[in-house]
Amino acid sequence: MAQSFRELMILRNNPPPMLRRALGALGIVLVVFVWWLLTRGASAETRIISPVLLPSPGEVVRSVPGLFSERGLIESTVATLKRVLSGFGLAILVGVPLGILAGSYRLFDAITGPLSLFARNIPVAVLIPLTILWFGIDETQKTMFIFIATAPFVFFDAARAVIDVHERYVETAQTLGASSRQIISKVLIALALPDIFSSLRSLFGLAFGYIMLAELVNAKYGLGYLLMSSQRRALTEHIFAILILIGLLAYGIDRLLLFFERGLFPYRQASE
Amino acid sequence: MTKAEETTAKQEKDADPAPAAIPVTPPVSVSPPTSALPPIVQFEKVTKTYDDGYTAIKDVTFCVDDKPNAMEFVTILGPSGSGKSTILRLIAGLRPQHPATSGSVLVSGQPVIGPGADRGMVFQDYTSFDNRTVEDNVAFGLECRGMPAKERREQAREWIGKVGLNVDRDSTKYPHQLSGGMRQRVAIARSLILGPKIMLMDEPFGALDPRTRLNMQDMLVSLSREAQATVFFVTHSIEEAVYLGDRTFIISSAPGTILKEMPVPPPDFPARVMQQQPEFMKIVFEIRDIMEKLESSTRAGDE
Repeated sequence: MAQSFRELMILRNNPPPMLRRALGALGIVLVVFVWWLLTRGASAETRIISPVLLPSPGEVVRSVPGLFSERGLIESTVATLKRVLSGFGLAILVGVPLGILAGSYRLFDAITGPLSLFARNIPVAVLIPLTILWFGIDETQKTMFIFIATAPFVFFDAARAVIDVHERYVETAQTLGASSRQIISKVLIALALPDIFSSLRSLFGLAFGYIMLAELVNAKYGLGYLLMSSQRRALTEHIFAILILIGLLAYGIDRLLLFFERGLFPYRQASE
Repeated sequence: MTKAEETTAKQEKDADPAPAAIPVTPPVSVSPPTSALPPIVQFEKVTKTYDDGYTAIKDVTFCVDDKPNAMEFVTILGPSGSGKSTILRLIAGLRPQHPATSGSVLVSGQPVIGPGADRGMVFQDYTSFDNRTVEDNVAFGLECRGMPAKERREQAREWIGKVGLNVDRDSTKYPHQLSGGMRQRVAIARSLILGPKIMLMDEPFGALDPRTRLNMQDMLVSLSREAQATVFFVTHSIEEAVYLGDRTFIISSAPGTILKEMPVPPPDFPARVMQQQPEFMKIVFEIRDIMEKLESSTRAGDE
C-alpha cells in the first residue's frame, strides 16, 4: 500500500486507468460532501450557508422533475443546441475552407494574419449589443453571435493545422508527380483533418459557453434564459440543477465527438 | 558507418566461405561516343548562395551519362552540412535550393524547372502519409495520374512484395504500425512504382539500425538494377557509399564542392559479405584518408 502510494507520487507518473477514474469520482464526491456539510440542517437558521444562497444537494435533486414538467427544460435545451449548432456550423462552413486556403497559400495567410489576430481578441460580450443592432433580437441574432464569436478561432485553428503539416510530405508528393491541387486535397487537407477535427471539438465547448451569454441578455427560451428566470424567481436550486445538467450535456457531447474522431481517424491516437 | 556499426557487421560474419575477391579495379567507364543521348544529369559550375549570404555549394561540376541497361549508381559522401542534400534537391527541383544561383543544372539535357515524378526522392525522415494504408501510400503517384483504384492497388501490391514487405500482412497496415525500415521500404516502392529515370536518396538509411541497414542496401542494389534508374545516394557512411556506388563523389564541407570523384567496385556480393572483405576495407580506409587530407588541405587553403 505504502509502496504503491509512493509510486503514484513519482513525478509525472500516470496512475492505472481504473484508479484514474476512481480518483476522478473521488474528487466529485469530496466536493459534494463539503457542499452537503455546508448546507446541513433541518431549518434555514441552523445551516452554515442560507438555502437562498446555496441549496443542499438533496434540494437540488428534488427540484429536477419540476424543471422538466413546469419549466420546459427539454424545449430549452433543444433551442440552445439549435442555436449553437447553426452558429457554429456556419463558422465551420466559412472558417475551415478559408483556413485551409490560408494554410496552403502563405500569401493569403499573410493578408489575414493581423485581421485574424484582431478578430480573435474582440471581447465576446461586445458582440451582444452589436449583433442586436445588426440582427435584432430573434434567432438570427443568436446564430450570428455564435458565428462571429467562433469563426475567427475556427479559421485560425484550421490554418495552423494545415501549416503544421511538415514540408517533407509536400515535397514527397511533388516528387511523386502530384499537382498543387492534388497536394491540397490528398496531402494537406488529409493530414490536417485530424487536428482540425480535434480543435473543432474543443471550440464547440467554447461556442456552448458563449450561447449562455447571449441567452442571458435577451431570449424567450433556452438554457441561459432558464438560468436568468430562475434567478429572478429566486429558484436557487434550479440554477444549480441547470448548471450540473449543462456540465453533463457538454461532457456527453464531447464524448460523442471523441467517439467520431476515433472512428474517423483510426490511424491517429485522439487525445482526451 | 560508425565504429559500432562496423563491429556489428564483423560479428555477423557469414558462415559461408568468403566469395572470390572483389575486383578492386573498377569497371572502366566506357562511354561510347556513339551514344546520342544527352547526359542524364549534368552540373556546370553550379553555385547556390542563399539570401542571407550563406553558400551551400560552389562551382559543382559533374556529368553522369545516360547509358541504357547500364544505369549508374552514384553515391555522394561528405561531412554534415556539406551541401550533399543541396545537390540532390537541385536535381529534384525542390525549393529553396532550386533554382541555383549560378551555373546550369541539366537533366537529360533540359534545365530543371521543378519537381516531377521522373525524379523520385526518398528522404531520411519517414514520409509515409499517415492517413493511407501501405497499399494506398505506394499507389499515391498512380492515383495522381488518375489510374483506376483496382489497377493501381494491384501494381502497388506487386511493389510491396518487391521491396520485401509481406503483401498479405502489410498492405492494409497504416504507417504508425510499421518500423522505420518498413517505412523506408514503402517510400522506395512508392517512388519506383512510377518508373523514374532518376532516384534521389537523401540518407534514406541514416536512422536505421546497422542490421536493417545492410538488408536495405541489398534490397536497393537489386531493385535499382531491375528498375533501370540512375541513383544518386547521399550518405555520410563511407562503407555505404563504397558498397552501393559505381562511383563516389567526395564533397568538401561548406561551401560544398566536389573534391574527388572516384569509381568504386560495384556491389556484386551481399552487403554483409562484401563489407568485411579486406579489399573492401582497404578502399574504405583509402577514402577516409583522402577525405581527411582533402579536408585539411581545403581548410588550409581557405582565406
